[in-house]
This record gives sequence, structure tokens and C-alpha cells, in this order.
Amino acid sequence: MQKNQSALKNIWLMTWFTLREAMARKVFIFFMGISVIVVLLSAAIFSVIETESVISGFTTEGKDVILKEIVGSLELMIISPLSALCLLLAIFASASFVPVMLEKGNIDLLLSKPVSRTQLIWGKYFGGLLVVFINIGFLITGVWLVISIKFSYWDFSFLSLIIIITFTFAILYGLIVWFGILTKSSTPGMMVAYLIFLIVSPLLQLAKDRLNVLIESDFIKSVIKGLYYIIPKTSELMGKITQDLTMGKGIENYQPVISSFLFLAVMMYLSTIMFKRKDF
Amino acid sequence: MNVIETSGLTKVYTSSFGKKKVEALIDLNLSVSHGTIFGLLGPNGAGKTTLVKLLLGINFPTAGNAKILNEEPDNYLIKSRVGYLPENHKYPSYLTGGEVLNFYGRLSGIDGIELSRKIDELLELMQLRKWKKTKIKAYSKGMMQRLGLAQAMINDPELIFLDEPTDGVDPIGRKEIRDILLQLKEKNKTIFLNSHLLSEVELITDRVGILNKGKLLREGTVRELTEKAEEYKISAAGEIDLSAFRLHDGILLTKLSENSYSVKVKSVGELNSVIDQLRQNGVLIKEILPQKTTLEEMFINLIRESESAEISGKEKI
Repeated sequence: MQKNQSALKNIWLMTWFTLREAMARKVFIFFMGISVIVVLLSAAIFSVIETESVISGFTTEGKDVILKEIVGSLELMIISPLSALCLLLAIFASASFVPVMLEKGNIDLLLSKPVSRTQLIWGKYFGGLLVVFINIGFLITGVWLVISIKFSYWDFSFLSLIIIITFTFAILYGLIVWFGILTKSSTPGMMVAYLIFLIVSPLLQLAKDRLNVLIESDFIKSVIKGLYYIIPKTSELMGKITQDLTMGKGIENYQPVISSFLFLAVMMYLSTIMFKRKDF
Repeated sequence: MNVIETSGLTKVYTSSFGKKKVEALIDLNLSVSHGTIFGLLGPNGAGKTTLVKLLLGINFPTAGNAKILNEEPDNYLIKSRVGYLPENHKYPSYLTGGEVLNFYGRLSGIDGIELSRKIDELLELMQLRKWKKTKIKAYSKGMMQRLGLAQAMINDPELIFLDEPTDGVDPIGRKEIRDILLQLKEKNKTIFLNSHLLSEVELITDRVGILNKGKLLREGTVRELTEKAEEYKISAAGEIDLSAFRLHDGILLTKLSENSYSVKVKSVGELNSVIDQLRQNGVLIKEILPQKTTLEEMFINLIRESESAEISGKEKI
């Protein structure tokens, strides 16, 4: 019991320390700056829009429906491009957390303390997640508050985007952590994460949904299908699932969430095993 | 009681594709007793840091085993009783001296009032108190070393590993660090000191090990290592007329300075025979001292011998 308590304490200490590192590197402040600008801009734009004129022609029941549509669309319009930008920034900002920890003179000290290697790597992982969670949370809550106050319509389902965007980052960050341990460098992990997020995942989704009919070879179809299930589905998470959640529809198909989570589990398992066996 | 014990400890580093192998440590058997200062000497690349890393579980052995405080190094909980100052320690530059100690103190399992008290006490001891709230990027090399030493002592460890602790420290600072180490020894702490500053090691260590190319060449007290085998300095009351008599068995008496002579013998019995002969010839002996070499001379000779033995071994093959 005491050992478990001390394990949690150590993980929290490393998590807190990573947050401190992000703040010192101005990453946190830069993120917050962007979020504040977006929230203030949204507030300024919405302050000049007359809501009553938009919904005056509708009955009370119709007003609710149209408000839901308007609020959902506005939130989506603001958040869709921003969440992708935030994710790109988050990958850039967090890619060096693990390689910096593994630098000579730093890792030696950490490993000389009564902290297990598993606690160190998971503390670092949760630290990266916490940085992104706080930033995304601040941005989405800010935008949500501005729109909700303006339209006096409180759609809480929009806030679930904080979880889905952080989850998308968590998957890519798992990959970055693994590459960080493997190469002790931030660049390879960052490049692979960008490649998956910007090219591979959207292409695989497209190939599976649309191009499949154009491909005749069963072998190529199987390869595409295999890759589709292996590679995390960031495109769907940030695309259809984000849209559906914003419009209050909920998640129709959990397969992209589950298969992406499995990818994350494999990445973190490999990272932990590799870190536990590595000489420094 | 032994605080450090290794048996057949071997570490071979292999390159990524397994093409190149480096034997960093070969079949090392070593034990360090509780409450002593042990100095490990060796040229760069001798395997000193590798040994410390194996003892702390930072690296894993290829063969053999090691124990610190009677536990395997991979039991991470044992490290709450250990302190370590690595050679090129790196602390996040955005932290202040106080924050560095706070972070590593908490990682070592202490917090609250006890940690605050310990931080102030150590900063005072290291003369860094007024720098407590200054970011460490403003610290000099010597200050960083002293902060590193404070970090290694934050958990009041029983066993402290110090890798080149006086690196970059001025002579006064070195003396202060030496005094701190001696104080720690008085408190019954065990100190494992890696250094290539031989004069420093000579001043404070109880036992010394000499490592070269992964092999432990010699181990013993400084006195044992620096005593020249069977060579004595004889001081006489007056000058000895060396042409007047010849010592038996071809033993030579060599003049060192006025009234001071050196003699090489094969045994204590032979030394006594020399004394008898001198006395019979009316020489008044004032003092007989075993001849000593400096640790530096002994170290250089030993490394040279080991390297020439290695070269001749290769040539034979």
C-alpha cells in the first residue's frame, strides 16, 4: 500500500515537473496566448451579432432547434481549424520532453533516486498530457462560454471535445515517447507524428472509404485494410467524431477510438519495456 | 560490514548493430567497508563511471553481480539511502538552487518542513544560502559542483557516490569539499570517490583502487600502495665512507643527501644484516624509514606497466 502511494507520488512529481518544464520553455504561455486571443476575438465578433434577429421568426420549439444548429456550427467553425493547429503545436512542444530527460547528467541523477523507471516514463507521459489538456481545456471552455453566453444556449456536449482532442494527442504522444526512448532525439518522433496526423491517417481513411472500389487487387486491399486498423485514426477522431460531438450527436462508431487506444497501449508498453532495459 | 560488493562484474558495451564491442569493466571483484572513504583512480576511459553506474542500476552488467547496502542495484527503493553526484550533472537551468534541492529531495522521499530545513542547512554548508532564489544559469562551475554535492546529501544518505566532485572548483573550494567529506566520514557515512586528482585522493581516502581499461590493477590503503618494496632510507649521525667497506651479498648503499642513504634489500633479515655491518663499521644510525613513492608516481608506473604488458601480450599472439 505504502509502495503504491509512493509510486503515485513519484509519478505526480514527474508530471508536475514536466508542467514546470513546459512553462519555463514558454510553450505553455504561447499556447495560452493563442487561446486568449481566440477567445477575445470570438467575444469581439459575437458582440456585434444580433441574435434576436436571427431567431425571431421561429416558434419556441423551433428556436431551440435552430439555436442548437447555430451554436454547434459556430463552435465547429472556430474549433475545427484551431484544434488541428493546437495539436500540431502540442506535438512540437512536447516532442523534446523525453529526449531532454534522457540527456547525460540528467537521467543519471533521476535514476539514482528511489524512483522506478516505469514511474519516470509514465510521469513524463502524463506531464505532456496535462500540458495539452490544460491548454485545450482553456481554449474550448473559453469559446464555449463566449458562444453560450451570447446565445443563452448551454450545450455541454461541446466540452467533450476537450477529452477527444487530448485523447488524439495522447496517441501521438505515445508514439513520440517511444521514438524519444529509441533515438534519444525529438525529431524522428515529431516527424512520424506529423506524417501520421497530416498524411497517413487521412489517406488511409480515404482509401478505405472511397478508393477501395477503384482498387482491384485483393492483396493491396488487405494491406490498406491492415494498415487502416494498425495506424491510429487521428483523421477520424479530429474529423467526424469531433463534428458529431460538437453537433451533440454523440459517437456513432467506437472502432476508431478503440483501435487507436490499442495502438497507444502498445506504444506505451514498448516504451516502458525499452526504458526499463536501457543503459544510460 | 561491506557496503559495496562486486563479484566478477563485467560490462561490455555493444554498438547498435553489434559490430563493435568495448569492454568497459572486466571481472571486477571489489568490496568497500562501511564508514570509509574509497577512492577509485584511473585514466579517462578506465571504467570508473561505468562501475558507479552499474552500482546504481543506471546500467546493467553483462556478467557478474553487484550489491550496495546488501541489495541488488535494481531494487530502486534502496536508493533512498544513497546519494550521487554525477560527473557532468545537468539541472534544468530555469530552476533556482533551492528548487533544485526541493525537486531532488522530494524524489528522494522527503518533503515538508524536514525538506525545507535540510535545504537551508545544506545551502548554508555549501555557502550558497544567499543564492537560494537565484536561477542556476547564473551559477559558476564551482557553485554548481557545491550545489551538486548538496543534492547528493539531501536525503542524508549512508552511501555517497561522487564522480569528480572537485572538477572546476578552485583550491579553496576543493579544501572545503575535502573538509565536508571528512565530516561525513566522521558521521559514519561511506564515500565512494571517483577522481583523477591523485593528490586529493591521497589526502582523504582510506583505501584506493586503481582501474585501467576495465581491470582493477591494485587495491589497498594509500600507505600500502605508495610503500616501495624493501627500500629503506638510512640517516646516519655522520657521513659514511662508502669506499671504506663493501656490504655483503652485493647490497648497495646509495647516497641520497648529506648523511642520508638508501638501501635496497630482499627481506627484513637482510636489512638487519646491513644494520649490523654498518654498526660494526662504527656508523651511528639515527633513523631508518621505509622509502615511499608518491601516489602519482605509483599510479603512472602502474598504468605504464599494465600498458606495456598488454602490448607485449599482443605481440606474442
